[in-house]
Amino acid sequence: MSDDRICVGSIGGSFGVHGEVRIKSYCAEPAAIADYSPLWTKDGQQVSIEITRPVKNGYSATMSGVSSKEQADALKGTDLFAERDQLPALPDDEYYHADLIGLTVLDTGGAVLGRVKSVQNFGAADLLEITAPGLPTPALLPFTLVNVPTVDLASGRIIADPPEGIFPEADAD
Amino acid sequence: MARSVWKGPFVDSYVLKKAEAARDAGRHDVIKIWSRRSTILPQFVGLTFGVYNGRKHIPVNVTEDMIGQKFGEYSPTRTYYGHAADKKAKRK
Repeated sequence: MSDDRICVGSIGGSFGVHGEVRIKSYCAEPAAIADYSPLWTKDGQQVSIEITRPVKNGYSATMSGVSSKEQADALKGTDLFAERDQLPALPDDEYYHADLIGLTVLDTGGAVLGRVKSVQNFGAADLLEITAPGLPTPALLPFTLVNVPTVDLASGRIIADPPEGIFPEADAD
Repeated sequence: MARSVWKGPFVDSYVLKKAEAARDAGRHDVIKIWSRRSTILPQFVGLTFGVYNGRKHIPVNVTEDMIGQKFGEYSPTRTYYGHAADKKAKRK
């Protein structure tokens, strides 16, 4: 599977007896999963979906090549991927989580601090979860202009200026 | 039942002291606190607190719209990793 594909949902099984599937969307706006159609499965098969109605925990949808309940049941657990190019362009200082994950984090002196594992938001601000071999637990760095002055997606790195107390080795308490 | 207004908002005294010290020093360090029950006050706006969730301190940049909430609301105690999908992060 291409690395330029992003998991946007999965198939939860069949819905009804007419070959519809139950789709669970991972998108920020759940219904947006249909906008990225045609989607891809993990084994490289292209499928197009059309949402028919919202159901509990997702949507029911018709899927190309699926016309019976048995075919729909067989797809249970299949992840659905969208091409990275299909995601709309974002304004400055706004980034897709998928683009940030995996970037190398350097401090202002050029020393490697770690790698972005995930992007979290607990209600206050976006946080970069940074892992490194020396860190006992991942560090959480607020994703602000002060703490993260440079994001260079082309070269795959982030320049960070973390405040004292973010990384365990800098702990004073 | 809601807390009586005449009592004022509850804040652990050590949180007030630490916040005051950080503000006076003019530093932007993370202020580590364990008091999840303390109310966020207007004088905390602009500071970054590390709110303990039982395992580690979660950085919380206090903004005006957080006033009146409790620190613990911004530091979940359970881990959940969703899918990145098309979610966006904005650098503020």
